Amino acid sequence: MKLQEYTESHHNFEECMKCTVCTAYCPVLQANPLYPGPKQAGPDGERLRLKDPYFFNQALKYCLNCKRCEVACPSGVNVADLIQSARIKYDHTPPKLRDRILASTDFMGKLARPFAPVVNGVTGLGVTKTVLDVTMKIDRHRTFPKYSGTSFEFWLKRRKKEQAAFPEQVAYFHGCYVNYNYPQLGKDLVKVLNALGVGVQLLDKEKCCGIALITNGMSAEARKHAIHNVAQLRQAVLDKGLKVVTTSSTCALTMRDEYPNLLGVDNADVRESLLLATRFIFEKLEKGATLKFKAGYHKKIAYHTPCHLEKMGWAIFSEKLLRMIPGVEFILLDSNCCGISGTYGFKKENYEVSQAIGEPLFAQIRSVNPDVVACDCETCKWQIEMSTGYTVMNPISILAEAIE
Amino acid sequence: MKFDSVIIGGGLSGMVAGITLQKAGQNTAIISTGQNALHFFSGSFESLKEPGQRILDLFAEAGVRLHYSPGLWLTPLGTFKESALSLEDIDLFPERKFARKVLIVNFLGYHDFFSSFLAEGLEKQGMSCRVRFLNLPELEKLEQSPSEMRSVQIARTMDRLWEKVVQEVRVLLKDEDAVVLPQVFGLQDTSVPGRIRQGIPARVIFAGTLPPSVPGIRTQILLKQRYQLLGGTYMMGDEVVRAHVHDGVVHSVATKNLDSHYLEAANFILSTGGYFSKGLISNPFQVYEPVFGLDVEYKEDRNQWYNPAFKEDQPYMHFGVKADENLRALQDGKPLQNLYVAGSVLGDTRPEFGTAAGQAIRTALHAADQILKK
Amino acid sequence: MNANEFDVIIIGGGITGAGTQRDCAMRGLRTLLIERSDIATGATGRNHGLLHSGARYAVNDPESAEECIRENMILRRIASHCIDETDGLFITLPEDDLGYQQTFVEACRKAGINAEIIDPDLARRMEPSVNPELIGAVKVPDGSVDPFRLCAANMLDAKLRGGQVRLQTEVTGFIREGNVIKGVHTLNHQTGETADYYAPVTVNACGIWGQHIVELAGVKVGMYPAKGALLIFAHRVNNVVINRCRKPSNADILVPGDTVCVIGTTSTRIPFEECDSVAVTPDEVTLLITEGAKLAPSLSSTRILRAYAGVRPLVSADDDPTGRNISRGIVCLDHETRDGLKGFITITGGKLMTYRLMAEMATDAVCRKLGVEKACQTAEIPLPGSEEKSFEAVAQKIWENPTMAQKAAVSRMGTRAARIRTGNKRDDALICECEEVSVGEINAAIDRLEVSTLTDLRRRTRVGMGTCQGEFCACRAAALLAKAHGCVERERADLEDFLQERWKGNFPIGWGDTLREAEYTQWVYKHVLGL
Repeated sequence: MKLQEYTESHHNFEECMKCTVCTAYCPVLQANPLYPGPKQAGPDGERLRLKDPYFFNQALKYCLNCKRCEVACPSGVNVADLIQSARIKYDHTPPKLRDRILASTDFMGKLARPFAPVVNGVTGLGVTKTVLDVTMKIDRHRTFPKYSGTSFEFWLKRRKKEQAAFPEQVAYFHGCYVNYNYPQLGKDLVKVLNALGVGVQLLDKEKCCGIALITNGMSAEARKHAIHNVAQLRQAVLDKGLKVVTTSSTCALTMRDEYPNLLGVDNADVRESLLLATRFIFEKLEKGATLKFKAGYHKKIAYHTPCHLEKMGWAIFSEKLLRMIPGVEFILLDSNCCGISGTYGFKKENYEVSQAIGEPLFAQIRSVNPDVVACDCETCKWQIEMSTGYTVMNPISILAEAIE
Repeated sequence: MKFDSVIIGGGLSGMVAGITLQKAGQNTAIISTGQNALHFFSGSFESLKEPGQRILDLFAEAGVRLHYSPGLWLTPLGTFKESALSLEDIDLFPERKFARKVLIVNFLGYHDFFSSFLAEGLEKQGMSCRVRFLNLPELEKLEQSPSEMRSVQIARTMDRLWEKVVQEVRVLLKDEDAVVLPQVFGLQDTSVPGRIRQGIPARVIFAGTLPPSVPGIRTQILLKQRYQLLGGTYMMGDEVVRAHVHDGVVHSVATKNLDSHYLEAANFILSTGGYFSKGLISNPFQVYEPVFGLDVEYKEDRNQWYNPAFKEDQPYMHFGVKADENLRALQDGKPLQNLYVAGSVLGDTRPEFGTAAGQAIRTALHAADQILKK
Repeated sequence: MNANEFDVIIIGGGITGAGTQRDCAMRGLRTLLIERSDIATGATGRNHGLLHSGARYAVNDPESAEECIRENMILRRIASHCIDETDGLFITLPEDDLGYQQTFVEACRKAGINAEIIDPDLARRMEPSVNPELIGAVKVPDGSVDPFRLCAANMLDAKLRGGQVRLQTEVTGFIREGNVIKGVHTLNHQTGETADYYAPVTVNACGIWGQHIVELAGVKVGMYPAKGALLIFAHRVNNVVINRCRKPSNADILVPGDTVCVIGTTSTRIPFEECDSVAVTPDEVTLLITEGAKLAPSLSSTRILRAYAGVRPLVSADDDPTGRNISRGIVCLDHETRDGLKGFITITGGKLMTYRLMAEMATDAVCRKLGVEKACQTAEIPLPGSEEKSFEAVAQKIWENPTMAQKAAVSRMGTRAARIRTGNKRDDALICECEEVSVGEINAAIDRLEVSTLTDLRRRTRVGMGTCQGEFCACRAAALLAKAHGCVERERADLEDFLQERWKGNFPIGWGDTLREAEYTQWVYKHVLGL
């Protein structure tokens, strides 16, 4: 390479032109003046942190990791990655017990599942919420997702033989939500894929994608999950020649981007084979596969783009799939953050900010008054349902409902 | 994914092309690496001396209210620049002295609006000025952050607070016949500047601030909305990384986000902008166009790229991609059949289309027309 | 004594002049410092910012080396807030002679420099950006120093002790009675006013411009301007100073400093006429990057912020045309003994980091002439701001939970950051976001540190030293200055000058991100702001 033919820097921070466009699109800044904003927290802060780690600003914890700053940046600076990397590198505050619990979805899921009815009953009680609010600072307004009595894995394993019979196979990274809270979404995916002639199998043994571990200061543990999951992906993609699909936009972003960018776990050989289910299905339909839709199906659907999907640029697939369904009145909601950002919104200190961030979205949903809100992210679902009362369905579930 | 046309670059040029093609019935996609230069828009189209009805209609249909009135507009530093066409909230004066007495109102603690420069500039033109500051408790929350008393954050608050501002200005107003306010109104609600004008019994002038430009962002939102309403697909935050060209024809492009899911189209427009948006990339040895490797007009000797005087015209700002009279891109001296070039990535290689915003709009329309003719 | 009379007049507001004024003031003299522009605008503000361990001179100039290491240790004590104790490495690359290392280390030890041969592996761990192919490494007590801070602190101390300063004021002639210099004629460039000042002793501390001053006084000194070019990279690539372990040559020092790092330098003789308009040539840029990349390979793909050049005042010891092997020795000329001219001293040669010793020599000479018998204490008493070392401890002491801007202020001003008005939203608003400079810090500089222009402000607060090079902050700061000086017209011109200065440093390296930033700045100032 000739000298200075190109320049590189950590997450491209040197390419920042200080144009401040990222700060114009940061959802946090509009609600929380304590947050320095993506430009200050990211590229500005990076130069200062390199001067002296003393310049690490604890207020970086207010970053939602929504990646909207990156989407807006005209210079290609990975602003959000810069901020999260700085937190990983410089913040040595041990995570609180509450944060450990919120982030350990696999563990909590396994614990809660056998006692699901009791757990669900208890977490739904006002008294419990108050206790959690006071002791653990988990905001009392938050509704805990219900746990399912049977895990999705259990359900699918019982159908292993019938799934294996399909001519085409795909592996499904179901994630914590589908497995422990809402196996119905997994069942819906299986229905749609089967209708396309594709059988569904599990990965050998998946672990939580680890996004909550990353944002809650448990990056070492997240790294272990990442190494494990990438090995699982390699088994499916390289050994078995399968594509791997997921129904959660955040799991997809985490495994494709956060693994190499934040955790230093290389996944280049499998990255492009990990797809959001709506993309996989769209590509199949584009190549000639067909789905038979129920006659007389009618729904007014307002689609909310989850932040991570906005970053990945894949909302177009979910959108196009929903528009394909006859009888669907499709409204694309303005792209706004819902405010929950995973475990972020559960924390008492963030609750008000969370709600303030999401308010423009909630207001638009109310004014559109859809039959259902469609969204690929489970935490957006909890937030929108709690804050507006409207039901939120994953596009896959809508598809499953709409086909024969 | 298949489209009739794919537009690479979602700034003013790309959006004008996209709107024109969608309106004519095409199914198009725009790919944009982040937000665009409209975020730094002064609000005035200096380079469009004679816009013509087509251009005026395009903006009107998008809800971007313009007015045509050859004259001068007031800059943030209190100087005047010539223009004929500007956004509705930017006044165009027939002469510099537009009032006898002017009240300049700013927010306390807002450093990006230069009331002292404006006062000095206006006084030089024979207008007497009074500068006053508003201290609104609602802005206090914003001020808690050392870096957030900036145009966009204030504008978001102003969508709710503008009436209070009007009230306070009316109280402050004495016998001035003009009031100058910062351009922090009408970000989401485009009716606000007009309603402010109605509420203040004096001529209200909105003077600019340090970027981002609120009228610019508003314009961007409206154009993008118009494009999407016409059925266009705007891919924000994505970047074309590879083009598949065969026998002088572009077949498809691959983007960073969509990786192996190529975008196919019958025609392509390259409107990627100048250096800022990386439409043109420079290193010590050359200036090049990164997507297709198109022919670029530039000086081989790097010393000739610059004029050592900052205020003088800079040669490097004139470099650009070469195209033929129909705006088809040139690669190794030959035009690509279905790739058109529009906007500032052209530099000065097709001077007949003008410069800056005028160039962006005219070349976009011309490229769109070429495509529709086929 | 009337208002225009002093015990000593010092001409030149670089580090030597400032240091001399401090020493004289500490010894009880009534001092006046006259500077034609702003502080540190000569070689003081245009060098590496290297706190030499002296190792570089150990082999060829052991006297200089000894001076350096002594002063190095002293400055760490008295100027702690201006210094970053980074340590340094002298690396041997495969193409260098490893044998030189032994000679080098022995010479260092002889000069009292603690030079320690370390394993290349340890060097790589100590400084990850260092060229991994190094075959040898020596650790030395190098450091980095901020010359603006150092200069400002010396001048501030002199002022606190009753000294006076006239910036933007040029000496146009001497008041001479026979063979005695009695004072100076001056012209204030800002106001256009002339004034005469009187003192029994005048010190010429003007660096290379000292040649012109002695000519005004009617004597001759042989000074040679030697230009040195340097590049600043946009962020701090290394944390340890990296040198090449070989005979001193071009571009073989990479120095970290605050948020950036600097590669330099070169040495070219230039004519006197060019001293006020030095520019960096494309060849110099290529040389600096090429040699710099040998020290730290990542420099070949790191954004460059600006290019600049300074002029050294060399008094030649032999006929070496590059001026590099000139003794960096301090030259203190008593013109009475040398030329029969009473009341006039020239202090020159030397280097930034031996300024205190130079000042001591000059002040000793001044005191001899005045019959004052007071010992020099500049090596013992800390400069204002440097009373306590660790800037973290200082920040925490002043404010329990310091904000980023407060931390940045302490890293710039040391303990004197306590005097900034802060802790309220108006004063805490940020003017320069790249370098975290608040309204309070800027107003403090305007009020107490003799700021007339944006460039003055930049030198004292780092406003405009970030990667955007003043894109937005220049305008904001200009508004604050206009308010302080009450003249907008002047600020418009100042803003133009400031942008021109930034551009001058940008276009020699005008490609890539630097060109993008320049295009953006052009766009914002010409088309949006209407400058």
